[in-house]
Amino acid sequence: MSELDALQATLADEHAALYTYGVLGARTSQAASPTLFDALTTGYRRHRARRDQLRLYVLDAGAEPVAAEVAYVVDDALQQPAQLERAALDLETASTGTLLALVATSSGAVRGWALTEAVWSSTWLLGYGGTPTTWPGAPELDA
Amino acid sequence: MPALPESRRVSRRATVGAALALPVVAAGCDIDPPRRRGEGPGVVRLTPDEELVVATAADLALARAVIEGATLAVPALAVTLTPLSQAHAAHADVLSGVVPPRPPGTASPDPVLDPPRLPADRDRALRRVLRSEQQLVRDVLRRCGQAESGDLARVLASLAASTSQHSAALSAPATAAVGGAG
Repeated sequence: MSELDALQATLADEHAALYTYGVLGARTSQAASPTLFDALTTGYRRHRARRDQLRLYVLDAGAEPVAAEVAYVVDDALQQPAQLERAALDLETASTGTLLALVATSSGAVRGWALTEAVWSSTWLLGYGGTPTTWPGAPELDA
Repeated sequence: MPALPESRRVSRRATVGAALALPVVAAGCDIDPPRRRGEGPGVVRLTPDEELVVATAADLALARAVIEGATLAVPALAVTLTPLSQAHAAHADVLSGVVPPRPPGTASPDPVLDPPRLPADRDRALRRVLRSEQQLVRDVLRRCGQAESGDLARVLASLAASTSQHSAALSAPATAAVGGAG
């Protein structure tokens, strides 16, 4: 996979992640679950910035950034704070893996940026009830 | 930490070994790097990526020594630091599988270092560990950027992410997850 292909794949994932974060935030009561609401808001902003940077990297590579889908599937059954938190945890766990894949297929500034974002996602998921692991984003190394 | 079955060790070695384009012998024997032209027996010149692996293995040995020093100074920290220690043991295990064999008389790439003497104060000992881990993250991230092999870069990135996770968990106050706490 080329660096451009990896950038486009990561951007496609970010479109989905941003949509999902929006839905999770909309289902969270700021009054009843202020900590979760704030965490989801921070996550949404981070992923929005991530999406914007990926678009720039793709444009710099001379390609048209992949567009977001009209909508993404987010389970309607996710309504309780613990369920929403779990969904955010799964999102950041998946993002870590996607960004590590970009690390593997990139170099220079793109790799450095992907590294920073991967470390951020792997650490941020702790706030959603995650626990430290030995090989975040590379579970096959734990086998 | 229980010893991993041989098949699993070879699988993980193969992952990192492939990253360095080193021949990995499935029987689990030592990896024998090809001798460079003009070099006599006993001389092992490392590639840039191999040097990154050796340097990271050395840093992991240092980090583990600091953790041991903290648990010696404050035995109650053993429970808290065991997950981190086990993670670093696993990190070192994967990296050690692809370090070329050293000539006789040279230092081991995975040395066992004497633990530093730390104060018998929980907070001070823990801060020492955290500083050590933060330095490890910085060094590994730098080497990740330098790695020529994408697969090696990914391994180092995951190692850095794991260290960052453990450091964050050590730094955080003991609270419930955000969803449960509201």
